[in-house]
This record gives sequence, structure tokens and C-alpha cells, in this order.
Amino acid sequence: MAQVQSRASRWWNRAAVALALLLLLVMMIPLYWIGSTAFKARSDATTVPPTVFFKPEITPFIKLFTSRVQQRGDRDNEAYANAPWWEKQVMDGGDRFIKDEKGNIESSGYVSRFVNSIVIAVTSTFLAVALGTVTAYGFSRFHMPGEDDWLFFILSTRMLPPVVVAIPMFLMYRAVGLVDTHVGLIILYTAFNLSFSVWLMKGFIDEIPKEYEEAALVDGYTRMEAFFKIVLPQATTGIAATAVFCFITAWNEYAFALMMTNKVAQTAPPYIPSQLGSGLTDWTVIAAGSLLFLIPVALFTFFLRDHLLRGVTFGAIRR
Amino acid sequence: MLKLFSRAVAAAALLTFAQLGYAQQKLTILWAEWDPANYLQELVKDYEKQTGIKVVVETTPWSDFQNKAFKEFTAKGSAYDMVVGDSQWLGAGSTGGHYVDLTDFFKKHKVAEIMAPATVKGYAEYPGNSGKYWAVPLEGDANGFAYRKDWFEDPKEMAAFKAKYKYDLAVPKTWKELGDIAEFFHRPAEKRYGLSIYTDNGYDAMVMGVENVIFSYGAELGDFSTYKVQGFINSKESIEALNFYKKLYGYTPPDWGKTFFQEANQAITEGLVSMSMNYFAFFPALANPATNKYAKQTGYFAMPKGPSGKQFAALGGQGLSVVTYSKNKDASMKFLEWFIREDVQKRWAQLGGYTCNTAILKSDEFRKATPFNEAFYQSMFMVKDFWAVPEFAELLTAANKRWHPFIVGGKGTAEEAQNGLAKDWEAIFKKYGRTK
Amino acid sequence: MTQPALSSAGLAAPRRGMSDLAIRNLFIIPTIVFLIVFNIFPLLYSLGYSFTDYRASMNDPVQFVGLQNYRELLADEYVWANFTLTAKYVIMSVVGQVIVGFGAALLLNRAIPAKGLLTTLLMLPMMMCMAVVGLFWQLLYNPSWGIVNFVFFTEGKVWLSDPEVALLAIAITDIWMWAPFVMLLSLAGLSAIPPSLYEAAAIDRASRWFVFRRITLPLVAPLLLIAIIFRTMEAFKTFDIAFVMASMDETELVAIKLYKMAFHEWQTGRSCALAYIVLLAVLAITNVYVKYLNRLKAR
Repeated sequence: MAQVQSRASRWWNRAAVALALLLLLVMMIPLYWIGSTAFKARSDATTVPPTVFFKPEITPFIKLFTSRVQQRGDRDNEAYANAPWWEKQVMDGGDRFIKDEKGNIESSGYVSRFVNSIVIAVTSTFLAVALGTVTAYGFSRFHMPGEDDWLFFILSTRMLPPVVVAIPMFLMYRAVGLVDTHVGLIILYTAFNLSFSVWLMKGFIDEIPKEYEEAALVDGYTRMEAFFKIVLPQATTGIAATAVFCFITAWNEYAFALMMTNKVAQTAPPYIPSQLGSGLTDWTVIAAGSLLFLIPVALFTFFLRDHLLRGVTFGAIRR
Repeated sequence: MLKLFSRAVAAAALLTFAQLGYAQQKLTILWAEWDPANYLQELVKDYEKQTGIKVVVETTPWSDFQNKAFKEFTAKGSAYDMVVGDSQWLGAGSTGGHYVDLTDFFKKHKVAEIMAPATVKGYAEYPGNSGKYWAVPLEGDANGFAYRKDWFEDPKEMAAFKAKYKYDLAVPKTWKELGDIAEFFHRPAEKRYGLSIYTDNGYDAMVMGVENVIFSYGAELGDFSTYKVQGFINSKESIEALNFYKKLYGYTPPDWGKTFFQEANQAITEGLVSMSMNYFAFFPALANPATNKYAKQTGYFAMPKGPSGKQFAALGGQGLSVVTYSKNKDASMKFLEWFIREDVQKRWAQLGGYTCNTAILKSDEFRKATPFNEAFYQSMFMVKDFWAVPEFAELLTAANKRWHPFIVGGKGTAEEAQNGLAKDWEAIFKKYGRTK
Repeated sequence: MTQPALSSAGLAAPRRGMSDLAIRNLFIIPTIVFLIVFNIFPLLYSLGYSFTDYRASMNDPVQFVGLQNYRELLADEYVWANFTLTAKYVIMSVVGQVIVGFGAALLLNRAIPAKGLLTTLLMLPMMMCMAVVGLFWQLLYNPSWGIVNFVFFTEGKVWLSDPEVALLAIAITDIWMWAPFVMLLSLAGLSAIPPSLYEAAAIDRASRWFVFRRITLPLVAPLLLIAIIFRTMEAFKTFDIAFVMASMDETELVAIKLYKMAFHEWQTGRSCALAYIVLLAVLAITNVYVKYLNRLKAR
């Protein structure tokens, strides 16, 4: 940077950083609370007054992956004595594992839901971004009769609340056998994310000067080659941002996942709050489930962070 | 990527096959996601051992339970052979043609005599007093109270209470006593409060809570045969009852305006209140020392009497119905036959299900099995329900709209609320042609 | 017939490969067809329902009632109250998100250490599952076992049961969750502004405010506006957190009313009518935004 940093602007810089850190602190407090709840003993989760300092355990995570039921009546002391330490901790918390005939602990559905989430979110994000980018390019560079209307139509597909389209969607899916299938949800999420993807990518592509492509065309490139070799590389910020948002939306989607899936293709979001059924909600398990579920999407965003923040640094051709 | 896709296609294909009712003998029961459903899943393993037919209990969260069930009914789908439906669904289930008529089944197996009469009325019969039955009572439930025995039995407290109210501090026998006790223990400065009651107006929680008081004060919601509500829901007793519920709300912890079973239990486990109103289905968590550090000091009692001596508890619980669109109706009926057997009902109670079988309920074994079973037994013979007509949810919405702003928001008077509600309900019944 | 948006240089030389028209169609038509198939059917279905007295839980014969549903809804004072409330909420929430999000972007748009990490961390709230966020914030707001009063030093304050404050409480949660969205888009837009413009302004000794108003704001406006459009649409649809956290008249947003009508009361036809009224309202508002956006771009 050739800028000369005056003392004033350095002061501004430090103040900005301080403010940003303060904001970070405030924003992180609820997250810290959820994160720390994931490591608390069940009795520490909702104490009056709230427990800030506690002895961490990994029992919530054990409970997350296993099938349990509340202990009714007296505990089986013999079984308790013979149990490994982690099972003892779960029994201390008032539950017992559900075991099959051979005595193996039955797993909860968390892992399969998690895997479903990954499959469905990755695929639908890929499709939404790919389709969205090419469509945005089409609208940006070429004239389409009634293009404002088409673009508005695409936007409007996102305006109706899920409750309203729930019943027709369900009937439609049932008729073609897409209920509780991965393909069904993937299609749904792609359609849902497309409007955002098209609009955002168009916003980014509009910023890329047309002169580059035209120069390339003069040099003998085909339009397609120009698209892939000239435009796309410059649009990486846009693609990264769009991918991140589409992924987050698909990853956390709750309403349709709840309505359209049962056991086979259900994703994690409808499953995580399922602890709410018993008399005393086990907030620690919900927190543990949410924490684990946060990791892939956080990692995804973190890996893309450079692309997200990079601007157009190509030089100074501006319209 | 390809592997993932092919797996997805395989899953879709498998599902299609499954939907074709691909030969395997399997029955599917839909219920809400909570512990009783887990107990049922354990119970039906016995059925598989005895008959070789696999029974799967599919669950979905409470918030989505009604949607899932009725969406499948709308699609006339056969994904579920039986459903453990809420008592309020009887109207929609029967008149909508989604439930199989079980009247003959009841006659043949004398179900109405085996199960507690109030449960048969509440979970099975529709329309009221018609003698037509649509579900077998599966999980009994009612509103009851949990309380802190140690607070009640503390000599200092007992002395102070006697001095102030002139009678002994004990489990309240009337609502007035309950109010006194709540007032006595309401000490915000010490972070101790009188009691916890239901206030969630998202669905039916608050209405169930208020019902307890309305019924016990001798009032009715309306005439269940003629659908007349004027003079019933806005009778003098009913207005008094609503006022009383609001008075009780004044003795609850802060920010208690949207509470249901979780908060009700948390109020006890965190030592906030002396008494807490909740469904019996949720009391096992309180009796478990691992989840409630005050478990040994927690006692339970059934709804107290009103000023005129009437005593009622709001009905909860669900009944097992056979879905009309199931492809295994005969097998489902056989399952019902098995379920009502006394030995099965006994095992159901042992596992944790709340049986409605009269003999078992009356037995000492059952009543002593848990700290709350005695109160449960008493409650099951005095349960009373809300309207079970198909449009019950509109009636609920109207009640929520009139009662919540009064109780929690402090707006208007009980008289205005009840008169307004009478008008609302009249309009709804007129809309559906139940009254002229 | 308007000219295609290409300069003459592109058209002059004969080219191999697909023609522009073919590419345009290849790129645009699949998306449009896909969206039509997956949106038109449910939309038309719902539109059809809205003119009937259909109730999804019953097998009653469906009767066509024309505009009755619409007339009843528009005359219902409760419905208007819902709308005003939702509008209030949308404004509170979106303005809050823009202030916090755009403000954060302005703060972060400089060379600071660990910028990538900082940005990712700030985006974490947005990455949480909405269903869980509502549940946990409900715990956080409770005066007995929650930490909100703890952090803001407001001992004993009642948030969610207090009719005056409840809507604000929900809006705060919404802002917490979605300000990062606005932040990221603004940051992407801000980082695309060439430093040369700032340098030129510095040489001309332009004031900070001038720089902000004449350089920063106009260049980041398109992306910021897209963020606002989408957040507004989503705010109108807010259901999850509001339903879980508070359920009073003072917080009954339109989406909640829709849900109750459709899935508690099973008044399917009527709920579809209400949904279309909401859709028209959102369409109208978004139209204004979009026209403004197009004007910005044309400049």
C-alpha cells in the first residue's frame, strides 16, 4: 500500500479494531453459552442463577450418539457396577441406554442425519451455485425479452412462507414418490436457493467489466471460453459468497426437512431438538448436537475466507 | 460424488418398494417423540416375539405431530397403520373418515368396561354420548400438581402459615387453599415463588390449565350436545374461575408468560416454586433423583376441589386408532386385541406407559409403583376434556386470544374475556352449522 | 427490437463455437424451467385453494367460495393488527441488521491481523440452526436461569412475557443472527472498491464524510441493497424464532398466524388466501427496492 498512514488514520485503525473486537465479544456470548452447555452436566444447564464456572464432561456427546430412555424406578445397581465410566456418567444423569438382545447399545440417529445433511447440502449448493452463475451471466451479458420480469419472477419464488406451499408440495412429492428421499430434498433446496444465487451472482458479474470478454473475443476466444477463462476467475468472490450462503441455508433448513422426511433422508436440524419430548429437556444434548453441527459449516466458511474477502484487484478499467 | 448420487437413487428406489407394501409383515404406529413412545417401542417387542409381526413406532416432534398425521391423511397415504392421536383429534379423525370405526370392536371385547369410564369418554367416544368409538385409550394423562414436601413440612413454615391463615399447612384440598399456599410461599426477594401454572398460548397448554379451575368451580365450557355456550362459558362460576387463575399467575416466577411442561418441571428442579402444575406424563423426570435434586422431597397431588365441592382434572393423553387408509387393517385390529389384554396392559404400566385399565389402576401394585401413581389414579376418574369437534383448534385459538391478554397481559376484566369468548365460540359453531 | 448488450467489436469478427443466442438460452432456460416446475405447481395449487373453503383435515367436498376468504380476511381487524405488527418487526429487524452488519463491514474493511478468522467468527451466529437459536435464546432471556440480564446488568427484567418488550427481544435475536449476512455482503462490496479512488480522494484532501457519501456508499449500494431485499423478504416470513420464544398477541407475526390457521385450525383455503395477501404486500415492497436498485445500476 502506497498510502501514507497519518497518525490520525492509525488511531482510527486501532479504534476500529477495538470496536470490532468488542462487537465480536458481544456476538459470541450466546454462542459461548451454547458451547459451554454442551460440556455441562445435565443439572448445571439451567440453574438459578446461571452456572458460569463448572466441571466439564463429555457426557452430552455420549448421549448424543446413543439411544436412551429415562430411568424409571430404581437403577439396576449391578449393571451400574459393571458399566464402563462413560455409561456410569450417563446413568448418573438419570438415563439408561437402550440395548438390543446382544447387549450392544443402540445408536441414536444423529450420525445418519448428519451424513444426510452433508450429502444434501453439498449437492444442492453445488447445483444452486452452478445454475445460478450461468443464469446470472446470461442475464447480465445478453438481452432477454422481459428480463426484468423474469428476474423478478425468480426473486418471487422465495417470497412465500414454507407453511403455505407445504401441503401442495407434500402432495406433489408423494405423488412422484419423492417423500423422504435425498433426491427430493436436494431438488427442493436447489430450487429454494436458486433465486438468491442468481441475484447475487448477477450483482457480482455486473461489476466485471465487459471489456475483458470483448478483448478476448477479438483475440479469437469463443464466448464459452471467454466465460470460463475470463469471467469465472474474476467472479470467485461472488461464487464463494454465494456458495457460503447457499450452503448455510441448505445446512440449517428446518421446515421442509421436518415436513418432507421421516427416517431415511432426514437431516440433522429436525432431529437435534428432539430432546424436547421428555419432561426435563436435556439442553446439554441439544447444545452438543448443535455444536457438532456447526463445525462443518464453520470450516467451509473458514476455508473460503480468502476468496470471500478478495476484491477485484485487476487493474483500473472502470466503466 | 457418484457414490453419493447412486446411494440417493438406491434410497429412492427402496422407498418406492417399501411403499408398494413389499410383502414384509410390518405395522407402523405414529406417535409423538417422547418417552412414552420409547416405552411403547419396548412393549411391542413382546408382540413380535409372540406373533412374528414387527411393529415399528415412528415418532416425530410434538410440534409437528398433528401436521404429519393429517398431511398423510389428506394424501390418503398408507405410511401409518395406526396412530396414537390426541383426544382432540377424535372429531376430525372420525368425521374426516380417517379413523376406522371401532364401535363393534368395543362391543365385542367390552372395552368400555375394561377401561376407566372417563378415559373411554375422553379418548374414544365421538360425538359426545353417542356410543360410537374411534380409539382405544392407550396413554392416560391428566393435569396434576407436584409440590415441595420439605417446604410444606418445615415446622417454621407450618407455624407461620397457621398464624396467618388459621388452618394447617398441608396438601390443599380446595383451590382456595392452593391460592393461600401460593401466596404464602411467594417471596421474590428470596427467589422463591408460589407456584408454576401453564401459560403457553401457542396451542392448548394454558387452556388446559384454566380448564382445571373452570370445571372445578362447577362451570362448563358449553353444552356438548347442543353446542350452546351462552350462559356456560360466561357463567358466574366461569368468570370467577378465570379471575382466580389470573390471581394464581401473580404468584409465578418472573417472565412466566409462555410456560408449558418444561418450565413447569424446571421450576421444581431449580427450587423456584412450592407447587407446579403439570401433566402426569412429565412427572417421571421429577421423581428421578438424577434429574431432580429435590426428587426425594417432591410430592404429588391431584387437582383440588372447587368452592362447591366439584373436582375435575383436565384430560390429556392419547388413544390408539386404526387409519382407514392402512393396508394392514386386519393385522392392526389383531394388534388392538392383543393390546387390551390385561397382562399386556400390566406390562405397559410397568414399562412406564400410563394404562387406562380400571383394574390395574385400582390395584395397590400400580398405586404404589411410583410417588405419583396414587395421584394419577385419583385423577383418571375425574378427567374432563375440551371440545373434540373437528374445529377444536379454532375454539382453542379464540380462548387463547381472550384469556392470555387478561391473565398475562393484565388487560380487561374476566367478565369481558368470557363474554367475548362466548360470542367467538357461538360464531364458530354457527359457521360449521352446529347451531342455527 | 433492442440491441444486444455487446459492443461492435464482439460482433465484427466471425466466431466459432456456440452463438450468443444459443448460449443465452442454454444458460437461462434450464433455471427458469426448473423454477417454474417447482414453484408454479404449488403456487397455483395454493391459489386455487384460496378460493375455496377447503380444510385439509377433512374429507368434506370442497366448495368454491370466490373472494369470500379474501373479503373476510381484509375485514378482520386482527389480521390488520398482525400486518402492522409484522411491518414494525421487519423495520426494526432489518434496520438493526443493516446498522450492525454494515457498521461491522466498515470496521473490518482495512488491513487488520487475522481478518479472515475474525470474519468467520463474526459469521458464526448466522451459521446456527434457526430452530435451535430460538430455543436457546428463550433460555437466555429468562430472568431466573438466563444470562441476558446478567450481561446487560438489567437484573430481573422480564423480556419475553412483557408485551412492550417482547417484539424487541425477538428482533434482537434476529439481528444477532443475521447482521453477519449484511456484513459479509457489504464487506464483499467494500473490498471491491479500488484503493486508487481513495488515494485520489486523499490527495484532494476530501473529508471522510465526503469520501463515504460519494465513493463508498454508491459503490457498495448494489450489494447492500441485495442484502436488504433478501433480509426484508425473510423477515416477513419470520416464524421459527418468534413462535418458539413468545406467543402473545403483541408478537403474532403474520407467518405465525398463517401457521396456526393452516396447521392448527386446518383452514387450508383461508390460510392460502392470507398467504397471497402477504405475497402481494411483499411483492409490492420488493418492487420498490428493485426499481431503486435498477436505477442505481443504470447510473
